[in-house]
Amino acid sequence: MATVEYRNIAKNFGHVEVMKDVSFGIADREFVVLLGPSGCGKTTLLRMTAGLESVTNGDLLIGDRRVNDVHPRDRDIAMVFQNYALYPTMKVFDNIGFSLEVAKVPKAEIRKKVEWAAEILNLTPYLGRYPKELSGGQRQRVAMGRAMVRNAAVFLFDEPLSNLDAKLRTHMRVEIRQLHNRLGTTTIYVTHDQIEAMTMADKIVLMHAGRIMQIGTPDEVYERPNSKYVADFIGSPSMNFIAGAVETAGGSPHFVAEGVSIGLSPEIKAKPGQKVIMGVRPHDLGISDAGEIKGEVVLSETTGADVQIHLRVAGYDAVAVVPRDERRNAGAAINLSVLPGKVHLFDAATELRVA
Amino acid sequence: MRVAKARRFVVSDHPLPWLLPLVAILLVFTVYPLIYNIWLSFHEFVPRRRALEFVGTENWVQLWNDTRFWQSLVITFTYFAIALVFELVLGMAIALLLDSDGFGLGFLRGVLTMTLVIPPAIVGMMYLLMEDPQFGVISYLLQSIGLLNPNNPILATASTALAGVLVAEIWQWTPFMVLIFLAGLRALPPEPYEAAMIDGASSFQIFRRITLPMMSKVIAIAVLVRGIDLFRVFDYVFVMTSGGPGASTYSLSLYAWQQTFSFVKWGYGATLSLVTLVIILVIANLFIRIAKVRW
Repeated sequence: MATVEYRNIAKNFGHVEVMKDVSFGIADREFVVLLGPSGCGKTTLLRMTAGLESVTNGDLLIGDRRVNDVHPRDRDIAMVFQNYALYPTMKVFDNIGFSLEVAKVPKAEIRKKVEWAAEILNLTPYLGRYPKELSGGQRQRVAMGRAMVRNAAVFLFDEPLSNLDAKLRTHMRVEIRQLHNRLGTTTIYVTHDQIEAMTMADKIVLMHAGRIMQIGTPDEVYERPNSKYVADFIGSPSMNFIAGAVETAGGSPHFVAEGVSIGLSPEIKAKPGQKVIMGVRPHDLGISDAGEIKGEVVLSETTGADVQIHLRVAGYDAVAVVPRDERRNAGAAINLSVLPGKVHLFDAATELRVA
Repeated sequence: MRVAKARRFVVSDHPLPWLLPLVAILLVFTVYPLIYNIWLSFHEFVPRRRALEFVGTENWVQLWNDTRFWQSLVITFTYFAIALVFELVLGMAIALLLDSDGFGLGFLRGVLTMTLVIPPAIVGMMYLLMEDPQFGVISYLLQSIGLLNPNNPILATASTALAGVLVAEIWQWTPFMVLIFLAGLRALPPEPYEAAMIDGASSFQIFRRITLPMMSKVIAIAVLVRGIDLFRVFDYVFVMTSGGPGASTYSLSLYAWQQTFSFVKWGYGATLSLVTLVIILVIANLFIRIAKVRW
């Protein structure tokens, strides 16, 4: 069990600076997800934590120890790789038990631990097989088993589910989270999949272009994104954005754009006249005859329980997600209202959250 | 059109026209000599009649009772085993050292190919000179540290002659192993190494449990190619010792050569080379079966 701390971490590949001034801490037993698009530096940060990439600048601490120059084998970490990185010449049993074997753990104890892990991961029938004789999901579980038997201080996961099909991914998500609940090992989990991040994380670290955009619980990141980037990245379908300005009408603040005027709560911090971008999540739009947003339905997509309605609102494209019994046909006129307190405002220039 | 023109050369879908050149070459240079060799082993050249005569199994009976044949077989096996072990171990060690991007290593990798472009007979001459008891550098160095008695020249002493020849052999062919192993090492996936580092394995454990097993196919190929070559050893012993002193470096190939061309016993020489072929085939096939790697 251990904490992990990043202090002003920077990383250069040659002359290319890929990460700058990354600082945050991870508490003991915490499940932290590094989330971001491809190339944002999340995997690089994970590999630096593992010791597979050098740290160009800053301090990396595991527990209370600065590990910048510590060899991976001495960092007391376990890692699950994206492509699993199983040992092709070893059977499943030896793959899982290898870390114990090299640590000269007695054979009987290795057998006990490997069988314990195999039991949890449903791998018992496959212990005598080679990795190439396993399916993708089974290989993934072997990689997990290899980490489980370690008793490592920190678990590192590098997009472990990205090579699995949708159903298996959902299943393994639950397994990994249950495993964490059971073992309580500090975990850093890299993914570009926001669903994985939202469902698994105690804390999300959202990265973009080598910088941290926001750190928070899944609820915080979803409910109060601190920038337009985060608001846009989190949530599916993406948040609707309209550029406009804050104006005072009849004593209360309103968001005003061409053809749109929406009342804001009085506590709003934006100054009258400030240019802003308003964001509303598709799920926070509801159909109501008294709605202040008037639009025309372009397309309705049934996704199962919900219907995604694509609409034109005064020259803007927008998406609303409504229950399936409120489906509307293309061409229909529609009135929408924003659920109370669900308006996000971002400054037009800085794109940071105003309210 | 260019494409249409080019396509006219590949109109035939039938496999025979494509196979014919290779089949013809194989027939002329491999199948016919082999059959002729088998035929020859049941005949013998009779000089006074200037003709081949059928002798039945006489050559084979003679072979079975020929102590010089058995002796040369033992010498060939010894040469084969010692050279193979040295070339394997040294080759792997050097390949591991060169398998990185350190300064000058690319140059060294290039230099390694140099021994391979020298004809073995020339390498034999080089070492013959270097091991000369009067002015050879190897003899001088060994004498000066007291490892070699000046009265016992390396290549003229029965107990050291084979070692003297092996030095030339190993010097020339270890780089061949290095190149094969380097190619193999460079093609290995990096992920298992990262996983093994994180799993806490030491460099030696990684080599033994990750590198060696993953290299097993490459090593098997190297052993096969080199082993077959070693079993036919001729050039070095021919140039350096002519099989001597006594018969202490008489390899099977050299003995077959001597019987065929010095003693004009074509039938017996053919029998000897046929036996060499059979031994190589049996060993190679056994090895392929045993060394079959599963992953």
